[in-house]
Amino acid sequence: MGLEKLFYPSSIAIVGASRQPGKIGYIILKNLIEYGFKGKIYPVNPNATEILGLKCYPRVSAIPEPVDVVVVSVPAPKVPDVIEDAGKAGAKFAVIIASGFKEVGNVELEERVVEIAHKYGMRILGPNIFGYVYTPSKINATFGPRDVIPGNVAFVSQSGALGIALMGTTILEGIGVSAIISIGNKSDLDDADFLEFFESDPNTGVVLIYMEGVKDGKRFVEAAAKTTLKKPVIVIKSGRTEVGARAAASHTGALAGDIAVYESAFKQSGVLMAKSVEEAFDWVKALAWNPVPEGENLVVITNGGGAGVQASDTFADDGIALRTPPKDLVENLKKFLPSFAAFANPIDLTGMATPEWYYKALYEALKNPDVHAITVLYCRTQLADPMDVAKAILNAINDAGVKKPLTVSLIGGEDVYQAIRFLTQHRIATYPTPERAAHAMAALYHYKWNREYVAKRLEYLKS
Amino acid sequence: MRSIAEKVIKSAIEEGRKKLLEHEAYQILEAYGLPIPKYGLAKSEKEAVKIAEDIGYPVVLKIVSPDIVHKSDVGGVILNLNSKGDVKKAYNTIIENVKRHAPNARIAGILVQEMVPQSLEVIVGATRDPIFGPVIMFGLGGIFVEVLRDVSFRVAPLTPVDVDEMLREIKGYRILEGYRGMPPRDIDIVKDIILKTSKIMLENPEIKDIDLNPIMLFEKGKGAKIADVRIFLV
Repeated sequence: MGLEKLFYPSSIAIVGASRQPGKIGYIILKNLIEYGFKGKIYPVNPNATEILGLKCYPRVSAIPEPVDVVVVSVPAPKVPDVIEDAGKAGAKFAVIIASGFKEVGNVELEERVVEIAHKYGMRILGPNIFGYVYTPSKINATFGPRDVIPGNVAFVSQSGALGIALMGTTILEGIGVSAIISIGNKSDLDDADFLEFFESDPNTGVVLIYMEGVKDGKRFVEAAAKTTLKKPVIVIKSGRTEVGARAAASHTGALAGDIAVYESAFKQSGVLMAKSVEEAFDWVKALAWNPVPEGENLVVITNGGGAGVQASDTFADDGIALRTPPKDLVENLKKFLPSFAAFANPIDLTGMATPEWYYKALYEALKNPDVHAITVLYCRTQLADPMDVAKAILNAINDAGVKKPLTVSLIGGEDVYQAIRFLTQHRIATYPTPERAAHAMAALYHYKWNREYVAKRLEYLKS
Repeated sequence: MRSIAEKVIKSAIEEGRKKLLEHEAYQILEAYGLPIPKYGLAKSEKEAVKIAEDIGYPVVLKIVSPDIVHKSDVGGVILNLNSKGDVKKAYNTIIENVKRHAPNARIAGILVQEMVPQSLEVIVGATRDPIFGPVIMFGLGGIFVEVLRDVSFRVAPLTPVDVDEMLREIKGYRILEGYRGMPPRDIDIVKDIILKTSKIMLENPEIKDIDLNPIMLFEKGKGAKIADVRIFLV
């Protein structure tokens, strides 16, 4: 059975719905209502008749209509009875928020819950989670922030506290999401199940996973490789060092295998492995908002030599060699740039650069069919106001009418940060340092190469 | 291939052994077409000489016993034997050494093996990971693996694209290509060994670890020889 009914349910029941603001069972219900879920919502609480204006039921089986998803927010010892009742009532999915299972040693309780669910053909997300989000269906069944931005990034987190915090970060960073899945103890549904859904989900363009460990490595590799052929998969693997792995193992009881094995499995499935949350989010922006480069001609445009060198070094570290820019591009740039500008790669507009020059240079690069990707760097100068440069960049993109992979770095103080926010709102991957803009562009190339590798590999495995 | 391996493994399991004897391990490698030195298991001095004559000199003699882990420590290995007389003498010396240093060890026989000439040492290993299943490792031998940990891993099933990346990933890759007057090595045979090791692991779930260490890797076109092998069962 696929996950369609989890993501496109006609009804959701919340067991443990509460009247008390601040309680998890209250926040989840409130988020679900206010985020705009259009299906039926059934609060379940034997001690209430109505919560937040909705009729309340004593148990799932008392709801007169079939329920697709049951969110379970009651203490762990009460969960088996709730699952039994929901299973009997024909619910398809149980989203178990409660903690107090395998992660604290209660393995048997967790196994019993899964057994009961499977008896009725019901699948479980969790336990030990903060819920899930699916923006195309306007579902926010979490106790995290309400106003997540709709977009094309699916985020799966094994960590609860970090995951719920990062929900907030997506909003701050202007990253739109299709889904946020708190995957917790993975008692039943795990990463591979969600990859299989996101692979063919038209609303998802990038999958980001915060992973402590997987149960079935072989199945993960297969699902991730298949997904990579269509869209990038980024994994932040916790426990990259031996010390970290021990912390991860004691944290969720997950079998954290040898990190070297994970790294090889990620390579073979085309997964982009991020070392930090910052790196992962940088990549997410670049990958979610850009097409994949069609060729190797990457052009860097800068107004400062130093920023250009920092970007070039980063590209070199990432295995990307900057090539000489196309001749006709250089000719077109010479028409308006001073003779002391540099026409190698990076193209240095010089410190004299105005917003107008940025506009023209980017416009020409976008229009040139031999340029496949562009990184624009800007150091704050008195000659070019950062917001004007940001607008020039946006106008050049709109006027050129061509979508090419683009990352931007605007370097400077407070007014520069406003310009970064402006471009980010327009889904242009913009960063405060040249290294991060270059490294994010490199992720696009790495994805392209990974995809080619995986395609070749799968071809061999088929034969 | 599996049928031969299965028979070997079954007899080890029946005898309660977790580690295959050296000639058993070679039987499995041979069944899968890996480049192993010529060998034979001798139960008597006479047999040892016969095998040595068939193989051609020089040869190596090694004690084969389920109870001896470090063969050299008990005087159970004698290298570079060039004649019938050498072999006879070595056979008896090994038996005496073992009787003195490990009096209770069971002796399965003495392995007579083609002496593999020294060359560039590489290692190929495999282990069964609880999460990902068989994992294959490659590295250059000696200090490269022991000190620098310059090894690469891939998860089975391996394809030629994986093996290619696996070789290029190690920092010492240029040594394989030939470096400073050193000749280029037979990279194709290494790839073949890695792929076949992956196959052995996939087809024989009873095997926990394989350690081909060292593999003597010769010049391009001249192949390789697996000089030592250890296979452990789950």
